[in-house]
Amino acid sequence: MVGIEFLFTALSDPTRRQLVRVLAQRGPSTATELSGSMPISRQAVAKHLTALSHAGLVTRSRVGRDVRYTFEPGSLSDVVGWVQEVDDAWASRLDRLRSEME
Amino acid sequence: MTDIAVERDVLLPASVEEVWSHLTDGELVSRWMGGSVVLEATVGGKIRMTASGAPDVWGTVEEVVIGSRLQWSWRTDDGLPALVELELHPEGEGTRLTVRETLLPWQSASASPLWIGRPSAWFRTSMVA
Repeated sequence: MVGIEFLFTALSDPTRRQLVRVLAQRGPSTATELSGSMPISRQAVAKHLTALSHAGLVTRSRVGRDVRYTFEPGSLSDVVGWVQEVDDAWASRLDRLRSEME
Repeated sequence: MTDIAVERDVLLPASVEEVWSHLTDGELVSRWMGGSVVLEATVGGKIRMTASGAPDVWGTVEEVVIGSRLQWSWRTDDGLPALVELELHPEGEGTRLTVRETLLPWQSASASPLWIGRPSAWFRTSMVA
């Protein structure tokens, strides 16, 4: 679960979360295409994409002269795993507590 | 704060006082938490839960407002630190208990909550909406 630490940092910035959302909707895109869908410069998009790729949230591939970025939903599995585990634990606990009080 | 969190609530057919004792009395807490719990319900007090087949979870009580609010931070030895917040509100003849467990960040960051609710809702609202 070490990966969560990097995801946390990467997703702590609202612009980067917006970028992930846009990328998830558009599918594989270049930094130039993404900057057209967001109110920030291509350079700023490229900087955020680097942070997201360090966290494994996006991957980059070269197509001809373009670099395309792709959202990798699998990178969120650690977070989803934590959420499900903790949610299940509290569901059982609150059920038991209610039975205790009935 | 970036929040990765789980939130649940339950309406209990009991008074706030009765629910509060079930949150703070080690013997009563152990009946429903899923392990044997040692809890010092005072700020800076220790919490430890031991269950067979699961690693020990231990931590520190962060906030106590009698009959209303209890918070502790905890983790397993090799697990992720999290903050547990329990809140009580009288509702009708019973008590509404709200639980929120939030993954603690490794760095302080100023941002709106990343996600509150169930995982599917998070994907819908934050990731692809």
